[in-house]
Amino acid sequence: MRPSHRMAAGQRNPDMRNPYLIYAAKRLLQAVAVILLAYLFTFVVVSILPGDPVTNVLRDPQNGFTEEQIQAIVAAQGLDQPIPVQLWTSLSHFLTGDFGLSMRSSRPVATLIAEVLPSTLILASAGLAVALVVAFAIAYGTQLVPTRFGGGALRALPSLFLSVPNFVIGLVLIHAFGFQLGLFRVIEPDSAWATAFAAIALGIPISAQIAEVLIANLDHEARQDYAAVARSRGLGQARLFARHLLKPSSLPVVTVIALTVGEVLGGSLITEAVFGRTGIGSLVQRSAAAQDLPVLQAVVALAALVFVLVNLVADLVYPLLDPRLTLVGPPRRRADTADDTAAADLRTVTG
Amino acid sequence: MTAASLSPLASPIARLAATGRRAARRVPPSVALSLAVVALVIAWALVPGLFTAYDPVVGVPAQKLLGPSAAHWFGTDHLGRDLYARVVHGTASSVASALLAVVIGVLAGGLAGLLAGFLGGWVDVVLARLVDILLAIPRFLLAVIIVTALGFDTTNTAIATGVAAVAVFARVMRAEVIKTRQAIFVEAAFLQGGSRWHVLVRHVLPNASRSVLPLAVLQFGLSILVIAGLAFLGYGDPPPASDWGLLIATGKDYLKWPWLVYAPALVTVAAVLSLNRISRWLRRTD
Repeated sequence: MRPSHRMAAGQRNPDMRNPYLIYAAKRLLQAVAVILLAYLFTFVVVSILPGDPVTNVLRDPQNGFTEEQIQAIVAAQGLDQPIPVQLWTSLSHFLTGDFGLSMRSSRPVATLIAEVLPSTLILASAGLAVALVVAFAIAYGTQLVPTRFGGGALRALPSLFLSVPNFVIGLVLIHAFGFQLGLFRVIEPDSAWATAFAAIALGIPISAQIAEVLIANLDHEARQDYAAVARSRGLGQARLFARHLLKPSSLPVVTVIALTVGEVLGGSLITEAVFGRTGIGSLVQRSAAAQDLPVLQAVVALAALVFVLVNLVADLVYPLLDPRLTLVGPPRRRADTADDTAAADLRTVTG
Repeated sequence: MTAASLSPLASPIARLAATGRRAARRVPPSVALSLAVVALVIAWALVPGLFTAYDPVVGVPAQKLLGPSAAHWFGTDHLGRDLYARVVHGTASSVASALLAVVIGVLAGGLAGLLAGFLGGWVDVVLARLVDILLAIPRFLLAVIIVTALGFDTTNTAIATGVAAVAVFARVMRAEVIKTRQAIFVEAAFLQGGSRWHVLVRHVLPNASRSVLPLAVLQFGLSILVIAGLAFLGYGDPPPASDWGLLIATGKDYLKWPWLVYAPALVTVAAVLSLNRISRWLRRTD
């Protein structure tokens, strides 16, 4: 998956004209396969597991559908067809960009998603921005502040952030800044202040993962010879950090950020509920309560699409950004990455 | 510091929990504290009656929404129920469901990783694709979908959380198995005529699963968070159940009485933080 860290630029395999292009093509194919399979997976999960949306939702007396209406919805959704046929129809429609109709409201799923997507995109990108700022601030602090003056506490911050449920962060912010200081009103969830605090609630747990990797990288770079040389020339910590340590340490963070995208999306589900925002999260919640399969399937496929695309871009850009990496032949995914995925998993893939 | 305020019983339990290991490895103070917190939480889960005399379900309406005091450590809620009693009695459900989630993740993910790493070939390819899919779907979204399909209750949130964690365990297990398989003692076992099954069970599995323990502890903490999140959104058991997430969710409607949120939140954070610390320590000492 990741390019191998071998620096044998000379041993170019004669069959592989341009290893980068081949690497890119392979990753692209993988990405397409994963998105399609994610769509299939959701279908299978919701169809195989016990619990039938027709009996659970449509026949729920509270919804007050008549038998004819139920039959009409069942026919429109193709729910009377055998499962493989349903699967084929939904997959072929999905491939042409047609997400089908919502079972709950009979409106096109694409419209439902398009309505709420901007709000979630704003929240997610603001959250990611907060995460980056906080992570770099903490990492900067650990390099600058001596351990006995609170540097140790700074190092403990990421694991504290990872231990706090993000709805608790949201509630604390609402209580402190909304209720006590009156900066925003809970009934206006889309105001600038409310959005900012929602982004903070979303960003803080994410920042922890970025900060952990960043701090580890900074510590590693600070032990290198070139850092010692720079220090012996009389370079202060701040300039050493900015001029020398920051760049090599933050490059690997690109991949970490890409991996947290899924958590930004998952986290916004909760953050939206805490702050009462409408968005993908509230759409998922309403659809989950109604077992509205077409909407859920589309959201999962969309989330997988975003995740896969972002990671694809990160993987493709990364070898270009870091001149120390050279791709030798096709990346040997399994054997090479076996060792570092173990460590990376423990460190980065958390939430 | 949170643990000390939680209960005066913390330190003897810490000593009990720590003595077994102290012979083998030195326990840093923060880890001892974490072990104490976890021991206290487990004790709450097993024998809640020992820690509080109040009833978690029946309240005294005249004493509603009282602040924290000597009589009511965490204050009382809108129905006059002692919040500390509700937290203590809700522990069993929160801890048991997180445990179930971890067991599902370890067993299913571990098995998948073991087979993929040991057998290789098409098994590996198929399982790797499956893991890729699971990793591509945001875990919380995946958990919500699975809970939706299973129906809303606390056990189902635990199952959903466990399934969502399968991919992580599968990846780590697979990487470890591949690493172990290349070891010389594995080759020796094969050369001595050991069958694949024998080598797998006697040599590969014990060595490869070593790094799964810290991950499982870490996942235990994460599962508490995810299950609390699902309970917060209302996918768990309804009140009067008192899962930590549910207590926080109920508290959010009474933000004028902030201890209703802060007390259960502090307990959750203390537990998860301790588990994370222990996991880190296990990883380092191994």
